[in-house]
Amino acid sequence: MSEQPSAIGLHKQLDAIWRTPPGLAGLSSVNHTILGKRFMMLALLFFAIGGLLSMLIRAQLATPNSAFLGPEIYNQVFTMHGTVMMFLFAIPMFEGFAIYMLPKLLGARDLAFPRLTAYGFWCYLFGGSILIVAMLMGVAPNGGWFMYTPLSSKPYTPGINADVWLLGITFVEISAVTAAVEIFVTILKMRAPGMALTRMPLFAWYMLVTAGMMIIGFPPLILGSILLEMERAFDLPFFDPTRGGDPLLWQHLFWLFGHPEVYIIFLPAAGALSTIIPVFAQRPILGYRAIIAAIVAMAFLSFGLWVHHMFTVGIPHLALAFFSAASALVAIPTAVQIFAWIGTLASGRPRWDIPMLYVAGFFVVFVIGGLTGVMLAMVPFNTQAHDSYFVVAHLHYVLVGGFVFPMLAAIYYWLPHISGRQSLYRLSIPAFWLILIGFNLTFFLMHLTGLMGMPRRISTYPSNWGWDWLNLLSSVGGFILTMGFALVLADMVLQFRFGARFRRDPWQAGTLEWATATPPPSYNLAAIPHIETRADQLQPARIGPALASGNGYLGFARNGEQETLAVDMMSGEAEQLIVLPRRSYLPLWTALATASFFLALLFKLYWLAPLGALATLVLFLFWPISLGSKSDRGPIDIGRDLAVPPDVEALNNVTVLANRTALVMNGTLFASLLFGGLFLLVVAPNWQGSNAPNLPLWTGALAMVASLSAAGAAAMAARRPGSVLPLRAGLVAAIALQSLALILLALSMGTLGDPTGHARQAMPFVTLGYAALHCGLGVIMAAHALWRHAQGYVSARRRTELVLARLWNGYAGGVVVLALGLGALLGLDGVAP
Amino acid sequence: MFKPVALCATPLLLTGCTGALSTLDPAGPRAANLATLWWVMLYGSALLFALVMALFAMAYLRPAWVTRITPAQWIVGGGLVLPIPILILLTGTALVLGEQLLPRGDAPLRFGAHAERWHWTFTYPDGREMSDEVLHIPAGRPIDVAVTSQDVIHAFWVPRLGGKIDAIPGHENLIRLEADEPGTYWGQCAEYCGPGHDGMWFRIEAHASDDFAGLMGGGQ
Amino acid sequence: MSSIIEMPLVRLVAGFVIWSIGFVVLYAAQALGCAYGWGDWHRPALIAVYAAVLVPLTWMSLPGRNEGRSGALFAAALWANRSALLAALLVFMPVTFASLCS
Repeated sequence: MSEQPSAIGLHKQLDAIWRTPPGLAGLSSVNHTILGKRFMMLALLFFAIGGLLSMLIRAQLATPNSAFLGPEIYNQVFTMHGTVMMFLFAIPMFEGFAIYMLPKLLGARDLAFPRLTAYGFWCYLFGGSILIVAMLMGVAPNGGWFMYTPLSSKPYTPGINADVWLLGITFVEISAVTAAVEIFVTILKMRAPGMALTRMPLFAWYMLVTAGMMIIGFPPLILGSILLEMERAFDLPFFDPTRGGDPLLWQHLFWLFGHPEVYIIFLPAAGALSTIIPVFAQRPILGYRAIIAAIVAMAFLSFGLWVHHMFTVGIPHLALAFFSAASALVAIPTAVQIFAWIGTLASGRPRWDIPMLYVAGFFVVFVIGGLTGVMLAMVPFNTQAHDSYFVVAHLHYVLVGGFVFPMLAAIYYWLPHISGRQSLYRLSIPAFWLILIGFNLTFFLMHLTGLMGMPRRISTYPSNWGWDWLNLLSSVGGFILTMGFALVLADMVLQFRFGARFRRDPWQAGTLEWATATPPPSYNLAAIPHIETRADQLQPARIGPALASGNGYLGFARNGEQETLAVDMMSGEAEQLIVLPRRSYLPLWTALATASFFLALLFKLYWLAPLGALATLVLFLFWPISLGSKSDRGPIDIGRDLAVPPDVEALNNVTVLANRTALVMNGTLFASLLFGGLFLLVVAPNWQGSNAPNLPLWTGALAMVASLSAAGAAAMAARRPGSVLPLRAGLVAAIALQSLALILLALSMGTLGDPTGHARQAMPFVTLGYAALHCGLGVIMAAHALWRHAQGYVSARRRTELVLARLWNGYAGGVVVLALGLGALLGLDGVAP
Repeated sequence: MFKPVALCATPLLLTGCTGALSTLDPAGPRAANLATLWWVMLYGSALLFALVMALFAMAYLRPAWVTRITPAQWIVGGGLVLPIPILILLTGTALVLGEQLLPRGDAPLRFGAHAERWHWTFTYPDGREMSDEVLHIPAGRPIDVAVTSQDVIHAFWVPRLGGKIDAIPGHENLIRLEADEPGTYWGQCAEYCGPGHDGMWFRIEAHASDDFAGLMGGGQ
Repeated sequence: MSSIIEMPLVRLVAGFVIWSIGFVVLYAAQALGCAYGWGDWHRPALIAVYAAVLVPLTWMSLPGRNEGRSGALFAAALWANRSALLAALLVFMPVTFASLCS
């Protein structure tokens, strides 16, 4: 640091630290730029597969009485089309975009947990491959993408098809879970100094809210999938109405995820629009604060809509009214954003370019989708349109309008950032018109097809209902649409090959990602800037060269370590120095171990599954080994005359925040489980006269006392990090007590009565099992802290491990209390209505 | 309603709106209410769509017309003042209509519809089974159908008479329907139920009161 | 741990958290009332919850509460809380008239 190297020299030094070597070593990459691109490439591949499947659907439905695909094949095709597009294309696509973009936009050098990004990618790849391989073998899921029970239960889907969905999708969801935690933590903690929350670009706000929604929204689906797989594998009757289960429980759990999911997909796209539109309007976005309020409102309201997928299941009108009103109301924050965008254009000096062409397409398509959404929110109309082609039209208008058109605009806007070249524009205009016309021809007519009475998911239809011409035209439109997408793909390939290179910031944008060189270097920014204004009104072309020559924070290479900064969540003041872990094959090995667990379940090798889980756990225990420090370093120079402590010496670091976030997510899963128990008690048939579960009082009380004492002991250890004896005693006590609680809970699970007989036994069985599992995790976290302490990684200032032990043991204690409470409630005589 | 007729006659939509399964060709008061709700929403939506598109187009084509609108006017006007009254009015109307459509009040005849993969079994109010997947009802008066399922979830839908209701194993759902005139009304399973879902058609035969009394009394 | 969840962020979501709690309680009370036959007490109980939810939301929507505090986040929070009030007012309104159990 004594003498400042040239920009080129600095680049070489930093790149030597951050780069991923070419060739097979790429498998060890944990770099967010590389992984973001991999996510997006794979998502595009799945988009192509999903598109191919939709072509099969349209070919089948083009004419009446078609014998092209039989119903068995057709059912797999439409199930896979929906599943691939939702779970393997849309979600990973925006995750990949956020992974690629957020650190650059916020002024960080990577995400908070680079190895977790890599692990998520492998889970996505392996989980998605399970689904695709199953499809090629002819055993793809065939229960529709929302897998309604009892159709997807064992008696009606005896084959492996439903297991492929449940296990494959849950495997893929691991990547959504890890991405959500990582995005949430990165946005809150890893911005350029000076970038207060209120100076964040709107895209970061959108992603923050999206990540928050994923943290609450995904657990119900994951729980539902676990319960249904347990029903299929071990005959626990959660959804079987003859044994106290209820098919409606699945619908609640699925749509509790499934509706927010639509907004989880839309919000990142809206974030991209809120970034692109001001650039072409040549003025800052209008209504920054109103938009923040609107996305918060949208996030919450979207959790109050799930039953609008269930208006015809026979729920009392008052309950429907809540969901109907909330569904209508969510149009208001949407309108706020739409008018903020139009207003931005109207009050700026709008210029026209290819991205704006696709933004215009977004307005046309999405507004129609929003309006039909309000129609469907009206209960009486919904009873006609539900499950008809009207709904098919609506959902494609919303998802293609709300995600695919913004994605295309984003591709034309940001692909130059990835390629370092500008688009050629020859193909993009005809491509746009083919897509717009093809899309509307296909799907606009479907509104009418649906109103004419065509239900969704029929593989063929007779000629006498008047649907023939509508379907034929829809099929023609579908093929036009596909040609449009093929042109866009060709355009992308040509851009990489023939596009003209450019200097920084081709669009005169105002956000930090354009301050990097393009294509971006492995470390993003050679120095991290200090942000003085709102970070969507910067001048990348001016600050880029200054940063490249090291003017800013961390504008140097030090100790061969991957350094970046953490800031105060609100004010954005520099707070900690983060040293990120290096590239590693561990994520790949861990994901392979996880894959062995899922494959063992899929092929019913139930003896092997615990080994897979154990291998995954053991491999995860290797992760922290390369992290941390054995001595207190105190404040460290970060440039610009500022020194901050390393993050291991702070308590509000990214690790602690991530664990808290993970616990909130975990708590949502547990809350969904408790909801399931109460729901079955109140609503499910065949509870009158069922046998109460037998939960011995003394075992339960003792387990509760043991687990809560363990939580107390772990908390004590965390409070007294300086003195060795209380610390070790506390952790050892936590391990012993939590183990005792685990054993007692396992014993209680044995006394409940046959869990396959009735949901009244099955529900407490899994709830206590969940609690026992978390006692086990409490043991592991306490043992981990003890081990790290013995190794010298824990001191009075470095106590992250102790905090984690406290958090997980405290969570386990709370879970044990609530799980036993549910068991006791279901055990009461006469509790069933 | 002349407007629906005008739209259905548009040459582009060669098929028109009539059809044995068309919700836009209602044959009973309940289905007619739902169709009216649809047409009102359609015209309202068309207006709103045109408004949004016009504003977007003006930002580029006639910027002078829209530059004087202030940020607050865009957001408060477009985001709040425009949609809130419309949504309150629409949702309120729909809820009141929904209350009226509920199967309540003076108990009419209650028929049974039992779904099993992949056919329907209908019963008279006295429990006798009907044959050939045909549900016989009286015309000109409301009737209730109690919908149940043997196996997986199905849905009972007769578009020209009213909305649909799911047939869920373990539950019994009630739907009220009414046909104005005697005649044949086609229905179908609307909830995906496996490989035979395509062919789960059925018919409702509505009879004049006297004829229906004969069917009820005759014991077939 | 006040440093973890900073006040302005809490304020931003507080109104809608209350809305969510109200939503869950009302939906649960509707179902429980039908299952366990609360009869004539059912609707008054729901209306009481409705009113109880509106009180804190109204208070949070008053403009005077943010005096001395400026910044985009407080303004956004005020508007988010007002949206929550509006959402509660409209979404829960059907407890006053809609059919409880059919």
